Amino acid sequence: MLWLHLLVNGLVWGCALGMVAVSFSLVFATTKIFHVAHAAVYGLGGYLAWSALKHGMPEWAALLVGIVACAITGTLIQKLLYERLDRRGATHLVILIASLGLSAVMQNAVAAVYTSNVLQFGLPWAARTTAIGGVLLTTAQMLTVVAGILSYLGAMWFAHRTVLGKRMRAVASNPFLAEITRLQPRQVHIAVMAIASAMVAIPGVLVPLDLGLQPFGGVPILLTATIAMIAGGVGSISGAFLVAVGIAVLQNLSLLVIPGEWSIGITFGIFVIFMLFRPRGLFAG
Amino acid sequence: MDFFYTYIVLAEIYVLLGLSTNLLVGIVGIFSVSQAAVFGVGAYLTAFLVMQTSTPFLVAVLLSSILCIGLNILVTLPSLRVSGDYFVVTSFGIQLLATAVFTNWTGGTGGANGLPGVPAPWIAGHEFVEPSEFAVLATGGMALGCIAFWLIMRAPFGALLRAIREDELAVAALGKSVLRAKVSAAALAGAFAGSAGGLYASFLSFIDPSSFDLDASIFLLTMVVVGGARTLAGSVIGPFVLLALPQILALIDIPSSVAAAARQLIYGLLLIAFMLFRPQGLLGEKL
Amino acid sequence: MLRISAFALAMALALPAWAQPIRLGAVLPLTGPAAVVGTQEQRGIQFAVDEVNAKGGIGGHLIEVQFEDNQAKPDQSVLLFNKLVDLVKVPVVFTGYSGPTLAMAPLATRKKTLLVNGGAQADALDKASPYLINTIPVLAGELEVLADYLFGDASKKTAAVLYENNAAGIAGRDDFVASYTKAGGKVLAQEPVQFGDTNYRPALLKLGATNPDVLFVIITSGTPQLADQVRQVDAKYMVAGNTFFSDPELIANPNAEGFTHTQVLINAPDGMAAAFKAKFGTEFDFFPKQYYNATTIVLSCIEHLVKAGKPITGEALRTALLEIKTFKGITTTVFNTNTAATQINMNRLTNKTDTIIKVIPPK
Repeated sequence: MLWLHLLVNGLVWGCALGMVAVSFSLVFATTKIFHVAHAAVYGLGGYLAWSALKHGMPEWAALLVGIVACAITGTLIQKLLYERLDRRGATHLVILIASLGLSAVMQNAVAAVYTSNVLQFGLPWAARTTAIGGVLLTTAQMLTVVAGILSYLGAMWFAHRTVLGKRMRAVASNPFLAEITRLQPRQVHIAVMAIASAMVAIPGVLVPLDLGLQPFGGVPILLTATIAMIAGGVGSISGAFLVAVGIAVLQNLSLLVIPGEWSIGITFGIFVIFMLFRPRGLFAG
Repeated sequence: MDFFYTYIVLAEIYVLLGLSTNLLVGIVGIFSVSQAAVFGVGAYLTAFLVMQTSTPFLVAVLLSSILCIGLNILVTLPSLRVSGDYFVVTSFGIQLLATAVFTNWTGGTGGANGLPGVPAPWIAGHEFVEPSEFAVLATGGMALGCIAFWLIMRAPFGALLRAIREDELAVAALGKSVLRAKVSAAALAGAFAGSAGGLYASFLSFIDPSSFDLDASIFLLTMVVVGGARTLAGSVIGPFVLLALPQILALIDIPSSVAAAARQLIYGLLLIAFMLFRPQGLLGEKL
Repeated sequence: MLRISAFALAMALALPAWAQPIRLGAVLPLTGPAAVVGTQEQRGIQFAVDEVNAKGGIGGHLIEVQFEDNQAKPDQSVLLFNKLVDLVKVPVVFTGYSGPTLAMAPLATRKKTLLVNGGAQADALDKASPYLINTIPVLAGELEVLADYLFGDASKKTAAVLYENNAAGIAGRDDFVASYTKAGGKVLAQEPVQFGDTNYRPALLKLGATNPDVLFVIITSGTPQLADQVRQVDAKYMVAGNTFFSDPELIANPNAEGFTHTQVLINAPDGMAAAFKAKFGTEFDFFPKQYYNATTIVLSCIEHLVKAGKPITGEALRTALLEIKTFKGITTTVFNTNTAATQINMNRLTNKTDTIIKVIPPK
């Protein structure tokens, strides 16, 4: 039954990864910015929730603090940094480097305030286990699955059923046309950054609830999520989410046949080959 | 003075890498984030040849460069099929795959333990151990790289490469071979990265995967952008400035246990400010 | 960075001009992912230095440590080592992490500067340079004790290995497998985890499927998460580790009940851990303890030289250290070679306390 355990474990991890991938995809598809500081926003959410909890707030309020703070941070990043860079006609490379700089600022600020040690939420209920179909899952893991599915559905609903979502997709598909048809792309960019940052705060809190907080903890997750987003097809929310789940499952199940040290390498190897054959991703139109 | 010479040698090695990255990213517009992987292969191969087969230093560096020419062509080939952001992420994947190989192929690379004891270069009966001596070698290597880069940028071939960046279709329509131009540029970039790897391994005497990871690749991009994309002067000044920056920041006296993090934070702020106010880099062309 | 406490600064001003401070150097990963270990090592050094300075320093000389951040990269380490030796003229450089240490070792030999490693335990460090002093035994000795205990006293005949995929973890894996196999045990499987990744579940699931009697774990951080996840998979095997398990957060975790580990003997006086926590806000765990110990050893050597009126050079310190040979700090450390030998205990975590179950005298 090892395969079943690994499969379930992969699905759970995939939901966390999927939330990061979907939120990154919203930003990237709309603004075309390679927003690497998204990893730092993810980290920030967890740390702020941790602080809120240590100041005696109830768990749900702490989560909310993380989400709201990240949404505000995202708005500020767009307004104060990316928009300015854009106005100055900065190239993608220049914006990428600025985003890297921002990551360094945020992550080191977190490290300076909270130290580099692994911090724990220390909530006994989060680690309590329940058996589902013979597999033991912690409450934190089950929350991750629920949040992952809800976030995915929420993002789909937002993109396809709301006015803002439709504006977002219009801006994503043709920024020039959006400008002259008064869709006000700059406003859309800010809204999308706020929503995506709020969304990434959810795994930003739930994952550390399970695995502990580290100042640079968001980086490896964002790397894999980026790959999921591209392999899924830029602009496709389903693509980003499903490929993220797929990668997590693949990394877990690959342990059945290969030693663990090669599972990451093999995953990326498959990705590179995949890109050669489907250079525009799995779900691209 | 060893401190000063060590700085010079490291910066000069990074200039070669900067040239490699600038050629691909700045000149041709192939957005590679896997140059550190090619650099790493150069370093490991030189180390292997010198340690296991007693190949003379210069021959080992030459062989490493040749292998890296082939390898770099291979890793930039997807750019013919996969374009724009898709290539960036493919190149990402290649870099992560390379890191996995450097870290886990214990037999070949020493794995995560790294490879200690790479001997210093012997050339014509002279051993280049001290940083001041090694600086002669590194300066020579850098000068060769710069001259090659300068000559190419002046030649019609350089104009062709720049044209490909601006409009690949138009170049193809004029009957020029885009494929051949891209492959040649990748080959040259590979040679730069490979020889830089050879110098690096011999200078430090110890290599491990941490010098050749995604961070390192991104550091190379940062050097090129801060120095100035597309120009020779930019590729030269970028590494010197970025390697000196932590040392300059270290002069700021922050008397507390968060000093190191605070300096990294200032580094990030400088990077942001620089991108806002001088996006073309110190000595780059207007973008 | 010059770190001088306000008190030490006042002392410095009050002292006559001839009592120049003695400057030491340290090259550690203070930022980036490896800082989780490096900053704890820094605190250990600072704790020891502050303690000595509070007593007026050594022979009127205050001690200053210049900390440099290498982000665990070998090229930065070499650059910073040269900086400390050339510009600051330090006789001693503290180091951690085996990669950077191996990169600096040839320089230590050439420059006759003492390189003091208090945390990295890869076997290659043993013979890297005569000027490299390891104040912590390389893993081989400690894990031999563990393997013998597990196979003999605890009669665990089969084992699985979970290791961190870096120099420390790989050295630990290889040493344990060698000793355990030699003792007669059988290693059923081994799986790595990436440094900094606290999701051990896939590896635990795969290792658990082989039904080992004992799971040997070697990871530098994230042990509390490991305990939670071991409990979650409802493990039937015993969990064993090395001194990394003496982490206060792990000890306080009820899911770590029954974890067994080797422990380099520590006789820290009461209140030391509390004083450390009050000062830095973090736990006095494995790495600060080891670097506190390493620093007190270096300071003893400096004191020896100051008393003898000798200049404090790397060479003189090395000679003094090998002459003094036995240091009775918070752990008794003996230098028969440039790598220390210390007493090792077998401990078990029970009822949120770390209890000694067997004492193994040094060979």
